[in-house]
Amino acid sequence: MTDVLLPLAIAVPIVAATLPIALGLRYDDVGWPIAAVATTAVVGIAAAIAAEVAVGGRLSHALGTYQPPIGIELVADPLSAAVLALIALVSLATLAFSRVAGPRGNPFYSAYLLLVGGLSGMALTGDLFNMFVFLEIVGITTYALIAADRSGASAYASLKYLVVGTVGASLYLVGVGYAFLATGTLNMVDMREQILAQAGYGDPLIQASYALIVAGLALKIALFPVHTWQPDAYQRAPDAVTAVVAALVSTTSAYALIRVTYTVFTVDFLAANDAITTAMLVVSGASILAGSVLAAMQSDLKRMFAYSSVAQFGMIGAAIALANETALLGGIVHLIGHGLLKFGLFLGIGTLALGYGVRRIEDAASAAREAPFTAGAIALLGLGLVGIPPSVGFLGKWYIGVGAVESSMAGAGPAGIGIAAVIFVSTLFTLSYVARLIERFYFAGVGLPGGRADEAAADHGGDPAGGPSDDPAGVVADGGDDSGDGETPAGGAPVAPVAGAPRPSLVPDRVPPASLAVLLVTALVTVALGFAGFALAEWFGPFLTEVFA
Amino acid sequence: MNPILTSLPPYVVLAAAAFLVLGLPRRAGHVAAALATAFVFAQAVLLGDGGTGTHLATRLFGFDVVLFNVDQFSLLMGVVVGFLATAAVLYAYGTEAPKWVTAFALVYVSSTLGTIYAGDWLTLIFFWELMAVTSTLLVWQYGGAAVRAGYRYALFHGIGGTFFLGAVVVHGASMLGSVPAAEIFLFSSTTGIHASATVLAAIGVGVNCGFIFLHTWLPDTYPRPHVAASVFLSVFTTKTAAYVMYRTFPEGGMWLAYLGGFMAVYGAFFALLQYDPRRLLSYHIQAQLGYMLAGFGLATYVGEFAVTGGFAHLFNNVLYKSLLFMAVGVVIYRTGVEDIRDMGGLWREMPVTFLVYVVGAASITAVPGFNGFISKGMVIDSAHEVHNYVLLLDGGLLWWLLILGGVGTFMSFIKLGYYVFFHGSATLSPKDATPFQTVGMLLAGGACVFFGVFYTQLIELMPFTELILSEDVYFKPYSTSHLTESAALLVAGFVGFFALKRPLGWLAHRMRDVDAVTYPAAFYLGRASVWGVTELWAAVDRAVMRLVAAVKRTAMHPRAAVAGLGVDVEIRTGIGRSVLFLTLAAGVALFAFLLG
Repeated sequence: MTDVLLPLAIAVPIVAATLPIALGLRYDDVGWPIAAVATTAVVGIAAAIAAEVAVGGRLSHALGTYQPPIGIELVADPLSAAVLALIALVSLATLAFSRVAGPRGNPFYSAYLLLVGGLSGMALTGDLFNMFVFLEIVGITTYALIAADRSGASAYASLKYLVVGTVGASLYLVGVGYAFLATGTLNMVDMREQILAQAGYGDPLIQASYALIVAGLALKIALFPVHTWQPDAYQRAPDAVTAVVAALVSTTSAYALIRVTYTVFTVDFLAANDAITTAMLVVSGASILAGSVLAAMQSDLKRMFAYSSVAQFGMIGAAIALANETALLGGIVHLIGHGLLKFGLFLGIGTLALGYGVRRIEDAASAAREAPFTAGAIALLGLGLVGIPPSVGFLGKWYIGVGAVESSMAGAGPAGIGIAAVIFVSTLFTLSYVARLIERFYFAGVGLPGGRADEAAADHGGDPAGGPSDDPAGVVADGGDDSGDGETPAGGAPVAPVAGAPRPSLVPDRVPPASLAVLLVTALVTVALGFAGFALAEWFGPFLTEVFA
Repeated sequence: MNPILTSLPPYVVLAAAAFLVLGLPRRAGHVAAALATAFVFAQAVLLGDGGTGTHLATRLFGFDVVLFNVDQFSLLMGVVVGFLATAAVLYAYGTEAPKWVTAFALVYVSSTLGTIYAGDWLTLIFFWELMAVTSTLLVWQYGGAAVRAGYRYALFHGIGGTFFLGAVVVHGASMLGSVPAAEIFLFSSTTGIHASATVLAAIGVGVNCGFIFLHTWLPDTYPRPHVAASVFLSVFTTKTAAYVMYRTFPEGGMWLAYLGGFMAVYGAFFALLQYDPRRLLSYHIQAQLGYMLAGFGLATYVGEFAVTGGFAHLFNNVLYKSLLFMAVGVVIYRTGVEDIRDMGGLWREMPVTFLVYVVGAASITAVPGFNGFISKGMVIDSAHEVHNYVLLLDGGLLWWLLILGGVGTFMSFIKLGYYVFFHGSATLSPKDATPFQTVGMLLAGGACVFFGVFYTQLIELMPFTELILSEDVYFKPYSTSHLTESAALLVAGFVGFFALKRPLGWLAHRMRDVDAVTYPAAFYLGRASVWGVTELWAAVDRAVMRLVAAVKRTAMHPRAAVAGLGVDVEIRTGIGRSVLFLTLAAGVALFAFLLG
């Protein structure tokens, strides 16, 4: 069975990645249109793949003239189709933001398209070594993108990621090498059979192989304690890069872990090796707790949500290690849902930074008054991250929690209950930092002379990014309070638009309208998916049935 | 038996009549009200002929309840409440009571009847609390000084009602297991309230009974509202409380009997010190309740005779106490004066009122020929059989207390009559009672005389009739010894009053009741507790906020916090340390997976 759509999903962005460089010799600023066309095409291809998977089930395609298991196979099943769809949509949506926020230039878009191609390849490949290749493509383009704005801090963050990321990928490669030694094959499905036929689940080679693969992927996913590259990278990268990297790179790595664990090593391997699942659960629990606590400690918005990702991926790691149908469904739903939520949050933070210069939580006072739609969407996404229904964030956490309790009930020891408790504690921490943000947005700075009309007269020297607006007329004349120049409370001055901030016609928010639209759609999609619990369970049903058969 | 009589609870009729009073013109409304109360009376009389039983038994919230429980006790209450309410409605009409007063009074009587006809503790406590609410409304309606007094009244009855509610809950909880769960609140399941709820019930009902120290709401509230409202208030709450006290403790107890004895003395003594006529009468409510409780308290020690004496006294008290409030009310209504020292010589101006007052006073002081003589004699006879703490004349402490209370009653009614109707020449020349006031007073007064003369009719209405009228019990009210006793009390009263007039007058200006201490104490206690709670909460708030701030400071600036401990380290992980962590993690994973 061959399907040409699968190689197209990889080849289109990678081939398109050469065009900005090549055409850039003659034209300036061709990167964005090329990227837009290419990612739109990927969206179409992903939709077509999803439709075919929905109708016909598993798709596969043998690359080149060699047939699997010798040749490289591309495979699409419900799980990889869903991840591919997320990759396609997020990479297209990010372009709406990067057009106004930068980074600009043709080389950036070449790297961007290469990243999309690498991510698609990771989602579709059915070959372990091929996955390493795409993992490296993703890694290298990510290093480049993080440093794309050429600041010192981002260069350091990029270098840090480069060093540890390379070591992590190498660990993965060593793990794959061990497995290859034991089985003599690299094709995932074939290796599953060969492990049973040639080695068995207790073989030290197989166990060492899994240990190294997990360690390598854990670094790419950024689980505690090997998360150290991630907060720096997310914080220092340009906003558009943060949005796409936070939404896709760790997500695709976590997808790879699910794929390797359940398609190659299988549930029986986990069941046969209690120590492995226990160790993974401990690490996941530590990741959930540490990530939540560290996130609650932050003041920088991007760094705060970066640590939050450490906690959320801890939950997904726990779902993988619980080896339980409900928990794995929760893990997959949370994988997709968290990708959407984080994309929306980083997009919202970037949008707010673009319009108002807000970088830290203290700067965001009264953002809801100045930018009601942007702040409202961020608040909605934040509450989704906490897990307040109806939101996809609730669904994922709920399934994981239920699965954890189920596994304990089924006699798998107290670890499941422990994970459920840790998830609950983490939810409280998440609530604490999201509530801090919402408090800033909606309640801080009340009663200050915050209207833009006042700012023309009053000096806002205290605001490092904003400064006084050069707009004497004022768009929202009713923004001014009658409280006059009262004593400034600890909350600080309300947000003020930066010089030259866009002025959309429909909304009071002084932010780019296209990225605001994307932000609002993302927020609504996360809520809509919250109602789709049964549909999601049905979509991933075939995959779950297959791995738990 | 006519099914309408057994299926139509009287309180529903009265509640409907209350709306009619509000909706109809004043005259028609009062006609409707009088008809409704007369129906209550007639229904109770007719049900006495074989109508007893538990009617309207149903189930609420999973518990069996009886909404219309007709037995000997509730019937006698129904008879007297219906009769007196009719007289009081007529009196209210003659006293220009506003529609709202009569309407509230009817709702209040309605809740009283609900309490009386309750056949289980849930129904009882429901109507009991309702009675507190409706009587408070009746007080508040008058406005002015009645509002603050009504507020104190509401506090008292709210607290008492809560105690009683607690008693009912404890009773129900204690009954679980001994009877089917649905029947735990039925009267028929037990004799009185469960022993575990004794103290709660005694305090809860005791507030309404005017136990000493719990009685201050009585003289505080009853002098303040409309005179017609006082007539209603003076009889229903306290007498229903005495009835409920019997329901709660049908076997009595010496504590109850002695408490009654002391209440008789205490109430009569403080009544002697009063110059506000309605306040004086209010203290006598407490004294008279003492006689009833003494009778109920001797239920086991003496037997059914004492209980019958208590109920007969209750029955008679409803008649003469309201009669006295009516007579005094007429004087206040006509003169507008509420201090008896400013009255005097009115017997010429208001002969009808004077006559009625004499009937009421003769009844309450137990003069032969009036109903109080019969029932008080029964209670005192019962007390004479108690020989604990024997003092003079072969009489025990209880007997002496009741006798002393009797003397005090004589003295205070001589005082009241002397000041109002004699006491120099008339400085005021008011008109006499209005026709409808006269009708109301004649109904109540006629009953007082009737039951004093035809006392077997009184016994017919009581429980245990056959026993009292049989040869086994010595029941001769007009025996020589009783007449002598009464004459001695009368003489003692006259001598005592005129001998002690001056010292009592001196005392009246100096001796205050316990409310002089309890009200300020309650006020400052309440203020202190509000202050204490507020300040405690503020302290907790401050402490929590300080803790949160410290945690936040440490979390936000961990390096500064660590530096504060004298350690200066870089907390952020650089590249080298990151690689170290990764290597360690991979090593640990290998170690764990291979050796695990």
